[in-house]
Amino acid sequence: MKVEELLAGYNHGVAWDEMHDANSVRQHYQPIMERLASMEFPSIKQYHQMASELFMSQGVTFTVYSDDAGIERIFPFDIIPRIITGAEWAKIEAGIKQRLRALNMFLNDIYHAQEILRDGVVPAWLIASCPHFTREVFGINVPYDLYVHISGIDLIRGEDGGFYILEDNLRTPSGVSYMLENREVTKRLFPNLINTSHVRMVNNYPLLLHSILLSLSPRNLRQPTVVILTPGIFNSAYYEHTFLARQMGIPLVEGRDLVVSNHKVYMKTTKGLEQVDVIYRRVDDDFLDPITFKPDSILGVAGLVGAYRKGNVAIVNALGNGVADDKAVYAYVPAMIRYYLNEEPILPNVPTYSMNDAEQREHVFKNIDRMVIKGTNQSGGYGMLMGNKATEEEILSFRTKVQKTPREFIAQPIIKLSTVPCYIDGKISSRHVDLRPYALCGPAGIEIVPGGLTRVALKEGSLVVNSSQGGGSKDTWVID
Amino acid sequence: MLSRSADALFWLNRYIERSEGLLRTLHTTYVLSLDKGPHINNSWKIIFEIFSTLNEEEKKEYENNSEKILEHILIDSSNVNSLRMILNKARENARGMQDHLTKEVWEQVNYMYHRINAKTIDAQLKTNNEIPVIESLLKNCLLYTGIVDSTMSRGESWDFMNLGKYLERSMLTIDLVEKYIVGNDLSEEKDILYWRGLLFSLSGYEFHLKNYRSNEANYNVLHQAVLNSNFPHSVLYSLERMKKYLENIVAANDPTDQTGLTRQFGRVYSSVQFGDVDMILNTGVTDYLSQLRYNLFQFSWSFSQTYFSYS
Repeated sequence: MKVEELLAGYNHGVAWDEMHDANSVRQHYQPIMERLASMEFPSIKQYHQMASELFMSQGVTFTVYSDDAGIERIFPFDIIPRIITGAEWAKIEAGIKQRLRALNMFLNDIYHAQEILRDGVVPAWLIASCPHFTREVFGINVPYDLYVHISGIDLIRGEDGGFYILEDNLRTPSGVSYMLENREVTKRLFPNLINTSHVRMVNNYPLLLHSILLSLSPRNLRQPTVVILTPGIFNSAYYEHTFLARQMGIPLVEGRDLVVSNHKVYMKTTKGLEQVDVIYRRVDDDFLDPITFKPDSILGVAGLVGAYRKGNVAIVNALGNGVADDKAVYAYVPAMIRYYLNEEPILPNVPTYSMNDAEQREHVFKNIDRMVIKGTNQSGGYGMLMGNKATEEEILSFRTKVQKTPREFIAQPIIKLSTVPCYIDGKISSRHVDLRPYALCGPAGIEIVPGGLTRVALKEGSLVVNSSQGGGSKDTWVID
Repeated sequence: MLSRSADALFWLNRYIERSEGLLRTLHTTYVLSLDKGPHINNSWKIIFEIFSTLNEEEKKEYENNSEKILEHILIDSSNVNSLRMILNKARENARGMQDHLTKEVWEQVNYMYHRINAKTIDAQLKTNNEIPVIESLLKNCLLYTGIVDSTMSRGESWDFMNLGKYLERSMLTIDLVEKYIVGNDLSEEKDILYWRGLLFSLSGYEFHLKNYRSNEANYNVLHQAVLNSNFPHSVLYSLERMKKYLENIVAANDPTDQTGLTRQFGRVYSSVQFGDVDMILNTGVTDYLSQLRYNLFQFSWSFSQTYFSYS
């Protein structure tokens, strides 16, 4: 089969297509497309099934609960890798590093001197009205002034082919295990191709993470105790927690395994209590300490914030990062970069309209068919309105909601995410994707493993890539 | 090691050992039930008593319907002791402390879980494929043992896992022996055909033929199942293994009441180690076995109190 036959019916005109320009397959996609063409469709299908079985047998699943019986699902995986060139990656990497430096400085500032508010760069009312501005951690010093140790910044590629920052995800971003498992599966599917394409490796991520966690220990020990705190087996990302624990060789603990005594955190072992130095928590702030936050939470540890305030335990990511994840605060990140670093942002934000501003609000509703309205503290594709898909009624009811609490909404122009080829229902079709590279900040600097998680909207024409809304994922290659 | 992890490792292996026992007993009973000999009526009863929650009426209803029995014992989710439920629990434990298992062990547990929960298995049981199904599941239990043996690191996890495994094994042997012996006068001669069910269930038929030459089958079987330290499913063998793993655990963890725990185990162990068939007969077989089971329960309870109390 020729590549042209493979791509018969492939629609590359809906947005920026990463594989195909107006006339032909882009150079960096040629080897994989040729390989697929040489396989013929029946064996592509076989590969597709093989990949699903691999995920199932390894237990890389999340559980959907209905009628008491848990049903195991895999996160849909598309076998065709998404390819990014080294040059494109260099810009992404520089842009993310710059952004994270600024965000760390912002978080340190906002929980201490608040100079950025005094200087009027970010309006004080915006921070004061943010539900994730955590007054309980005001003034707490964290090791090396690092707040964002692990981030999963979401990037999208617009119609002009340029990358934009969509979200920062500075709290507990998930999906990194899929990045790593996807690569392991691709290694079994296309070993030669990975080799000849010079795909940069991602599998040192757990080691990098482990060394950062070790470096944050408040006690100066040869072997500090580092743990991962999970909400438990019912959490949808539970597989990832076990994966990281195993890859780093550290204990996976639940809230009930920990206890705080005399402002120190201990875990209950068969040998008795053992002091814990660093907690990589995958539990949200609100559930972390029933004394400070939600009193009915049993996922956390009573007294944890006290130990944190005393500096007896390091918590990763820091508490209170949610303030910078607020989508209305997000709009000010370019200003933060200018303010703290005196640099121009390398990667632009998606233009964002404040719904609090009457003029901008008017503009948004006038052009609603080109706009998406999002809740400032919603994620997972919930609580948003796509102006081009919504009915009159939906728009009207959303408008009332927005007018009632304008601070809780922002609007952005609908950006047609770039498309890549996917194997769907027996043929190759284009689907929209985003990109989530995982960046790690430690005392020694920022490291980003080359690649990340490509999330793909499997429904034709859909721009929503969230796994809760029918999204899947792809292996992501950065090639030289 | 986290108490919760130790607990989960201990129970993971107990559940897998229980699955293996269930499958072997089921296989034996099913195959023997096809031989229309003098001892068949007894056989399903034992399975019911150990692995089901049926009441007397239901038992009667099921007794002559092997398809229904197999379904009930293997995949009935309303039976808390069915293989499906046991393997579900095994996997739940494994999932809770994957960081202590090797990838290979986890994948094997996961495979068994998916196998027993797959829709295909219901169909296979209905289409005369029941023996291959049972055999393949049994083989997977053995495979699990092999994978654990060749991939898990020796140390605390290993000790907790094995202690659970052999505790479960000794209990299962006690249960089976008791069920086969109850109501039988051992001074009355029984031929080896009667004991086949028990011996196959313990994987010890060939062992018996090779090692016991005299005609006193009743006493020989009792000796083999309880007192023969070369027979890997005997109570004595299981306790010997437990002794070793307990010593390791105590040495590694230095619990405050360690002498209490070792003394308690020592009492149970010595009643088997220094026992003989005459002593058991003098005590009364059922009395002896139920005392043994009670003591093991007590020990298991103290053991959990010492190492697993975390919530």
